[in-house]
Amino acid sequence: MQGLDLDYMVGLLPVLLSYLPLTLQLAVTGMALALLLACLLAVVRVLQVPVLDPLVRLFISFFRGTPLLVQLFLFYYGLPQVFAFLTAINGITATIIGLTLHFAAYMAESIRAAIVGIDRSQTEAALSIGMTTSQMMRRIVLPQAARVAAPTLMNYFIDMIKSTSLAFTLGVTELMGATQKEAAGSFLYFEAFITVAVIYWIVVEGLSWVQRRMEVFLNRAYAR
Amino acid sequence: MPKMIRRTLLGLAAAATLAAAPVAAAADPIRVGMSGGYFPFTFVEQDELKGFEVDFMNAVGEEIGAEIRFETMAFSGLIGALQSGRIDTVANQITITPERQERFVFSEPYVYDGAQVVTRRGNDEITGPESLKGRSVAVNLGSNFEQLLRDLPYAGEIDIRTYESNIEQDVALGRVDAFVMDRVSATQVISERNLPLQLAGKPFSTIENALPFRDDEAGRALRDRVNEAIATLKENGTLAEISRKWLGDDVTTAP
Repeated sequence: MQGLDLDYMVGLLPVLLSYLPLTLQLAVTGMALALLLACLLAVVRVLQVPVLDPLVRLFISFFRGTPLLVQLFLFYYGLPQVFAFLTAINGITATIIGLTLHFAAYMAESIRAAIVGIDRSQTEAALSIGMTTSQMMRRIVLPQAARVAAPTLMNYFIDMIKSTSLAFTLGVTELMGATQKEAAGSFLYFEAFITVAVIYWIVVEGLSWVQRRMEVFLNRAYAR
Repeated sequence: MPKMIRRTLLGLAAAATLAAAPVAAAADPIRVGMSGGYFPFTFVEQDELKGFEVDFMNAVGEEIGAEIRFETMAFSGLIGALQSGRIDTVANQITITPERQERFVFSEPYVYDGAQVVTRRGNDEITGPESLKGRSVAVNLGSNFEQLLRDLPYAGEIDIRTYESNIEQDVALGRVDAFVMDRVSATQVISERNLPLQLAGKPFSTIENALPFRDDEAGRALRDRVNEAIATLKENGTLAEISRKWLGDDVTTAP
């Protein structure tokens, strides 16, 4: 067994870290858009809006039922063969769109579950004192649903950060792509991939800390 | 149509539609796809893309007076990117095969090579393609070495495993018995990198590597310009020099 090449790892770290902003940009943008889309999808599902509801079900079924990599390839390489104008979409945009659609499908179900899980007495009480449906949703249902949904949504965000590593297949050199190329040049696979693993891990640990703070905040009404 | 008028028309068309669709005018940079993960042809060291293919394409660009823009992506995405018009060619030791010729037009070959079996150091039971029967063999997904193995008369007895990357590492670890790669880069991997590997027997089957282009008017036009550049680079010795720099040998002329 060869020794660990620490000098190489130290030299590699700043190079890899320079790709971290792009990875985070993909994940944060994807998460913001996915959250927005997921809320819309969840509301359609909860209220069982005619016409839209079956379409949303189909959407969720497809994007949950196929691998993210398949969706990215289909969107980035497949569709442009049919619709030439789609080549105008670059790899970064395509990755964000792919992450958004894929994770929105999962998150919609998790948000829907959180809304449906609010006890009926809550909605009945809100309506009985004369709140409109919209007031009831904003003031009574969503704050409680957010508390329930937050941990699972954070899970998806963490998953999304790691899924950005697929972007290299679309020509986007992010954290993982940079690591693969460096490893191909040095053949120091262990050093390169352990370095990148630690970077991902630290980022996710930072997020877990944010999650704990957020849960305290959302739980404040229940704190004893 | 004269180039000037065509370019003006294209410009007008682009402005009129306001579409951001890429228009392949002569002044546009040539977008060259590569994996960035194929030592010593295309790899990265401290964030700098280098290798035989990089030097070769830059020399071609200089020769025809076009800027070369490298786009790195996972190997499995390269052909899709070429087909969908996101890149103009692939410089990644792409071997000319009948299947690929049906879909793409190729430049003149710029590397002549052979397929090489490589095993873990000390494994003397494998001495060439004949001894791969009953063994596991790693090849890169979508590479022509996979097809080469499948075309062997005893292909059914070989456990062929396709990889996205890192086949050298898996053989060095002993997880698969051998990998098949082109002789040139296999020799490089063994001599320059600290992996316990050895060549098994002589190279088999001659392979010619070239640049693929889309089989349309623009693609063929670009291919013709690149061919002129390759001819010049072969004549004036630049290509041989690049080959010796990265591969320690001139592999750019037909055997």
